Amino acid sequence: MKLTITHQERYSRSELLLRSIFGVLYITLPHAFLLLFVGLWGAILSFVAFITVVFTGEYPKSIFEFQVQLMRWKLRVNARIYNLSDGYPAFGLLGTDDEYTHLEVPYPEQISRSLVLLRFFFGVIFVGIPHGFVLYFRILIGSFISFFAWFAVLFTGEYPKSWHRFIVGTLRWQFRVGIYLAYLSDDYPPFTGEA
Amino acid sequence: MSIPYISLPQPEELTSREKEDAMGAYLMMLAAFAVSLPLPIINLIAAIIYFYINRKKSRYIHFHCLQSLLSQLPTTLINWGALYWALQIFFFENVEVNDYFYAYLGFMILANLIYFTFSIVAAIRARKGVFMYFIFFGSYAYNRVYSSKNILFYDNEEQPEITGQQLNKPPFE
Repeated sequence: MKLTITHQERYSRSELLLRSIFGVLYITLPHAFLLLFVGLWGAILSFVAFITVVFTGEYPKSIFEFQVQLMRWKLRVNARIYNLSDGYPAFGLLGTDDEYTHLEVPYPEQISRSLVLLRFFFGVIFVGIPHGFVLYFRILIGSFISFFAWFAVLFTGEYPKSWHRFIVGTLRWQFRVGIYLAYLSDDYPPFTGEA
Repeated sequence: MSIPYISLPQPEELTSREKEDAMGAYLMMLAAFAVSLPLPIINLIAAIIYFYINRKKSRYIHFHCLQSLLSQLPTTLINWGALYWALQIFFFENVEVNDYFYAYLGFMILANLIYFTFSIVAAIRARKGVFMYFIFFGSYAYNRVYSSKNILFYDNEEQPEITGQQLNKPPFE
């Protein structure tokens, strides 16, 4: 899985202020409203895919593409919420954002049925709890960094590279866990945000 | 006068994606489980959404989506009836439990079991590229999709090219 969010040389201060004051109205609310319904549909398809994988060992290609497109959409919105990218996130599953965000998930020809069942019944124990515990602290640190980065961008127009890398790493980690729990990959997510 | 039909594809002529998408149509009966909402309408809504998203992909997918959607209607109505009755008894306390209610519950369980079994078998066969026709709905879906009267354009079929301005038209269009 490859997830990147481009670190820009310069960040727009006006966009930063606009996002901070009205972002909830023009980014979060409209996207969250649509993502709620598309996400519900994604949950239904995920369950259908689970049944299919258990009986056939293959993840349906159409559903796989849908899930990856849905994740790309969420990534586009997240990149703006965390002020990691300028610009407005494109709506829809087919929206593109190549200039700023990039997510690639290779299609697995075969998915282990036993691993799928293991994740279904015990995923919370061996994935959710250990990763959730570490991610909780990482997200907490990330929100502090994000807060200080806001001032850095406002006064200098630049997002400190290491801070950007840390927050992108946190997102990458979360997406890896999501991909594993959604049966899109058999690779157990590593305990790192590095690419 | 008989209606001409488009020849049916054989399993080896269908792509694996077509077979998977056709199978998915029947698995919409599990939608309520997926969202953890035990409402009979959820499966029907899911089947309608799936139908409109996938119907133009190919005739094979269209047929299975339509058959799956139509076959959900009777069980959805029966389940709604049971839910309404149960709410009247246990929630609003307007009526009391009687033998008719238990008989209806038995009928509902039987109808759902039949529907579930047929859908599972149809899903397995759809994934193998084999047609399975349900009573009433199968022949209707076949007529609707494979009749040459069906004017829907499918993604995997070549569309007739319209060249120039169409001045001459049939009298009843």
